[in-house]
Amino acid sequence: MSKELKNITESVMEQIHLGKAKMKPKMYFIIGSILTFIGLISSVIVSTFLVGLTRFSLRAHGPMGQYRFDQIISNFPWWTLVFAVFGLVIGIWLIRQYDFSYKKEPWIIILGFILIILIAGWTIDVMGLNDNLLQRGPMKRIMQNYSSEKN
Amino acid sequence: MNMAENKEMSDEEIIEKVRNSDQDFYALIVDRYQKKLVRYANNLIRDEDKAIDIVQESFIKAFINLNNFDNKKKFSSWIYRIVHNQAINIAKKYQKETPLLEDWDFEGNDDLEKDFEQKEIVENVEKCLSEIPLLYSEPMTLYYIEEKSYEEISDILKIPMGTVATRISRAKKIMKNICQKN
Repeated sequence: MSKELKNITESVMEQIHLGKAKMKPKMYFIIGSILTFIGLISSVIVSTFLVGLTRFSLRAHGPMGQYRFDQIISNFPWWTLVFAVFGLVIGIWLIRQYDFSYKKEPWIIILGFILIILIAGWTIDVMGLNDNLLQRGPMKRIMQNYSSEKN
Repeated sequence: MNMAENKEMSDEEIIEKVRNSDQDFYALIVDRYQKKLVRYANNLIRDEDKAIDIVQESFIKAFINLNNFDNKKKFSSWIYRIVHNQAINIAKKYQKETPLLEDWDFEGNDDLEKDFEQKEIVENVEKCLSEIPLLYSEPMTLYYIEEKSYEEISDILKIPMGTVATRISRAKKIMKNICQKN
């Protein structure tokens, strides 16, 4: 065993001296952390918008259940959903890669995100931000798709 | 390198030197931890050759990512965590892992546990560990063999301290039940 242990030190140091094992610069981890943060924030924003949009759509078309459901399915901007899920998965993966102090299980983070998104989406809708988006801003076209069949 | 002086340096001081001035200081860290880590990895995968490979790979991985290590935390917890991950990956690869059954349990008796002194556990623990599910044997190994605190085990395994305590307590009961039969 002791010979093999000595070999561990020799082998590790040899790889370092030969440049086969190179220390990643601090900047690599700083950029990684920033990207993680941006990815997660984007994911929350997009997902929150989707929740708000769904609630907005439900309000916009009255009590006809099947019609409302079909309308949501046909008009739903699925690319944003894919973007949100992708962002969330990448974000969690990056957190696990970069943050050693990360102790929680992934499902706790995912549940936390879903909860934050639902609360934020509901709050935005209740506060009338969706109605403001209908009047102006980059989301005007999407919002108008949802409200056009109402009239 | 002045050996006597270096031996008194903390892990974190050595890491700081490796990062900023002399990468050769990393040999001190490898020397300091390799024996313990090989024992730990061997307890996880029950294969000494693979355990040595795992430890070697872990030291290289740790070196590559050394700038990601937060020097305010304990280096030992960090390197144990890397070995844990590496061992679990290897175990999965070779499909030799002891099943990690969360609901693996048995009818226990709390009174039996009380007369189980720590010294006795230390003597028996290595003999019996192979018969205990990894879920319980790993925190047991870290606590009694590697002499880690609950907080360090919590850092290494990324589970809450309460879960660490529960698993160690269950491991003791399991040992009492299984190992005394041998």
